[in-house]
Amino acid sequence: MRAWAALLCALVALGGCEKPDPRPSITVQRIFGDCRAHVPKFGKATLNPNGECEIITELLDRFEAENPDIRLNINTVAWPGYNQLSAQLAADDAPDLVTMHMAVIPDYQTHGLLMPMGQGLAKAGVAPDAFTPAARRAVTINNEVYGLPFDTWTQLFHINMNLFGQAGLVRNGEPILPRNAQELLTQARQFHKATGKPYFVQSIVNEKAAYARNLYTYLLAQNEIVFPEPNRIRVNTSKAREIVALFRQIYAEDLTTRDQDYAAATTAFINGEGGVYIVGTWMIGTFDTEAALAGRPLYHGYRVKPYPRLFGQVDPAFVDGHAWVMPRKKRTPAQEAATYRLLKFLSQHEAEWTRSGHLSSMQAVADDPKWRAGPHRRDLVAITNYGQGLPTDVQRQFAIQEMLSDELAAAITGLKPIDEALGDAETRINDMLANLS
Amino acid sequence: MTERRGWTHLLFVLPFLAVYLWLLVYPLLTGVSLSLHRANLFGGATFIGLENYTRLFRDATFRQALGNTVLFVALCVPVLVTVALALALALNRAGRFAAALRSIVFASSVLSVTVMTIVWRQVLTVDGGLLSHVAQGVGARPLAFLSDPHLVLPSLVLITVWWSLGLPMILFLSALQQIPRSVYEAAALDRATPWSVFRHVTLPALTPALLLVIAYECALQFQLFGQPQLLTQGGPNGASRPMVLYIYETGFNHWDVGYAAAASQILFALILVVALVPQLARRLWGRA
Amino acid sequence: MSAVAIAPINTRGRQTWAWLRLAFCASMLAFVLLPLLWAVYLSFRPNVELMRHAPLKLTGPYTLDNYIELFRNATLFRWFFNSMVVSGASVAGVLVLSSLAGFAFGRLQFPGRNWLYALVLMGLAIPDQSVILTRHQIFSDLHWHNSYLALILPGLSAPLGVFLMTEAFRALPKSLEDAARLDGASTFSTFWHILLPQTVPALASLAIYTFLLSWNDYWWPLISATRPAMFTLTEGMAAAQSNYIEVTGMGVLTAQAVVAGLPVLIIYILFQKHIVGAVTGMVKL
Repeated sequence: MRAWAALLCALVALGGCEKPDPRPSITVQRIFGDCRAHVPKFGKATLNPNGECEIITELLDRFEAENPDIRLNINTVAWPGYNQLSAQLAADDAPDLVTMHMAVIPDYQTHGLLMPMGQGLAKAGVAPDAFTPAARRAVTINNEVYGLPFDTWTQLFHINMNLFGQAGLVRNGEPILPRNAQELLTQARQFHKATGKPYFVQSIVNEKAAYARNLYTYLLAQNEIVFPEPNRIRVNTSKAREIVALFRQIYAEDLTTRDQDYAAATTAFINGEGGVYIVGTWMIGTFDTEAALAGRPLYHGYRVKPYPRLFGQVDPAFVDGHAWVMPRKKRTPAQEAATYRLLKFLSQHEAEWTRSGHLSSMQAVADDPKWRAGPHRRDLVAITNYGQGLPTDVQRQFAIQEMLSDELAAAITGLKPIDEALGDAETRINDMLANLS
Repeated sequence: MTERRGWTHLLFVLPFLAVYLWLLVYPLLTGVSLSLHRANLFGGATFIGLENYTRLFRDATFRQALGNTVLFVALCVPVLVTVALALALALNRAGRFAAALRSIVFASSVLSVTVMTIVWRQVLTVDGGLLSHVAQGVGARPLAFLSDPHLVLPSLVLITVWWSLGLPMILFLSALQQIPRSVYEAAALDRATPWSVFRHVTLPALTPALLLVIAYECALQFQLFGQPQLLTQGGPNGASRPMVLYIYETGFNHWDVGYAAAASQILFALILVVALVPQLARRLWGRA
Repeated sequence: MSAVAIAPINTRGRQTWAWLRLAFCASMLAFVLLPLLWAVYLSFRPNVELMRHAPLKLTGPYTLDNYIELFRNATLFRWFFNSMVVSGASVAGVLVLSSLAGFAFGRLQFPGRNWLYALVLMGLAIPDQSVILTRHQIFSDLHWHNSYLALILPGLSAPLGVFLMTEAFRALPKSLEDAARLDGASTFSTFWHILLPQTVPALASLAIYTFLLSWNDYWWPLISATRPAMFTLTEGMAAAQSNYIEVTGMGVLTAQAVVAGLPVLIIYILFQKHIVGAVTGMVKL
């Protein structure tokens, strides 16, 4: 009889058959991968200590060690994890705390699937005015906070200074970056002539985000309204066409690498095959490691800068960030308290998380001279102030980014005329937005 | 057997039928109903009649996906079936070499789609891919298999054939096993050429298996998904977006599940017509 | 020794035929094997090397690190066990259900048979993506997610097995049953003792294929087994990858590929003698 019960238990309700534990139990669901293989429990990472995975693993271990009265379960899920989360919400089995891109928060918030966290965070001593402006804008919807910001990230100009030097584009140890579109073309041609290599390294195969982020960045820099209404995008404008035409021109003149996917582009940059790689903050650590290796193309020759002002009068940056959100579910008061204790812990240790290269989303961290003294921080910290995402009443931002990038890639590689591609992007995106329910 | 006992024969079919109706047919019917609604992952369903269907046919992305899918099947299935049949004929013999080659061919099918695409990415990529090494070796310019709109679909055909040879091969092999030995002995006495043995003995005996494999592969290849999803995301310019990727994008990324359901119904109808009508007709009316 | 063609004819034709076959086999071998070898080769290369260039060096360096890293993950064995349970049970379930149904469709008369069979064939045209949401709802309502049952059952609804087994039963000579009926055997015992053993090649193909499908299934486990203790190997390995594995861990990834692919390959080698078993006797002629 007992054997049968055990079998049934094993077959149907595996999770429910463990020994009872009086401690409140909370489940954290996160992306960033599993690296337990080289991060011993409660120990230090033996490899790649500044990787996202290694840092988050260490942090959660430390919380567990410091809070023996809480039982912490960790669910590591494949990036970006939203299919699982939606499935769990539909099955009424959501985890207590989940990593979520700030741009995705509106999708779940609209359907009442996220807990408002402002009050709870304030009680735990984390007030929303502690967030940087960029982060605060992104997690606030209708004056309520729906996530604890964990970082801000953006795409940047990663620069091979050794090649820039060869091309005569270094002055006083600083890279010379263009101040407008025409100058970009001139410098890129000069670079190409001097080094025989393309100015840009860019991924185009299997790429669903980079081009949309470029466009958003330079439209925001000109104070263009991309979303006149939450349900309507407007990108087939003269300003947008001008931006895309620049990237089209760069591609047509072979001033960028071609036919690369993300992995190939990253490898190409590491191997010194181009001057500027447009990619996110998360690669800074990897490139710094390369820059420290003698004999490598990036040796003592890596810098990273925000996008230069090519269009418009303000500093441009389209940003997103990771946040911790609480899916709607029944929690006991003890579980809720435990969750907020973890949130407080995470916010206190945000500076450690940003070792990965991400920008801070906590004003105190961003202002801390010690944090600013970290590599490249001085060049980038201003982004935490002026960086912006799309308006928080725009839903499906990931899907929009994908469709827009799709069309932009077609325009840039010359498969479609620019205005047709931008028109198609508008049609596709607006069709989706018009049919939201 | 009498009609009266016939009813008890239903018992053999019942266990499968129960699971089948519960987990495949019922979800299909819910899908039909869903396709008449505007709905997202978390409810909010409004009945809108056939609007999703009319919207689909105005949707250039969907029309392109439809075209890609049909073209892919038309390219992939003939190649796949021919090569698998040739392999089965060549390897239907004892001996270490044949056994090893059978295992190797099958080994390409054991990889999951995630892994298979990683392997092929390493072969096809312009930067340091196996084929680009080969191209450079003979002094040619490496081809952009995954970013040239004219090459991307044939590339997907190539890797799909590589990945899918295993099952049709073993189906043909097991069919070849069922051909009675005596037929070949008779042919041997007649001093038939290998070609005429194939033409007049093997092929007719293989016809049921051949039809089965063609029908099944059509149904399967219409559902092309993982390869483009992982390698190209449907690009460049939508040239490698098949219908299932479109369905996945609208359903899971846009949360537009009613619309995705409508697109699924069209795909379903298409597969039914193309792959199954000939089979059904043969089963129901033309039984030999 | 010749292939299927037991028929030795004039020597010249035979030789041309043999050469053709050899050339075909050799080119297929290259086509199939090169990408596989490439993957195995990459799995023994250090990650750092893969991130830089020149992957075409055969001289090394080589490393076991990718495999060591993989096996240090203790949960891996749990996932492996889950996958074995799920794939094993799926094979057993599919074989039982399909051979019963295939026997009835292929050899028996019953009311509505042709229409039911048509209904089953129709299932081949249903893409998984279009039923996965409702299936998820069904299991949510039953609170069955995160269980072996939830991982196994959907695989049992696939109609391919019934299709294959019906064809296999139909292909058997009529005389087999007649003898059994003369002995007064029941329908079930005819099925079990006389006909089923004749379909072993088809059963073996089906077993291999079902194991393969179940082992490599990704989407359903992803949304049904959401607790790490219930992950399958395919799902767990995907979750263990960080966002940008292409860059940071190509070596580990290909090592995973090799590890995940091996069990299925072993299953194939175990079963393949049943598929091609009879050949041995034939060729001895």
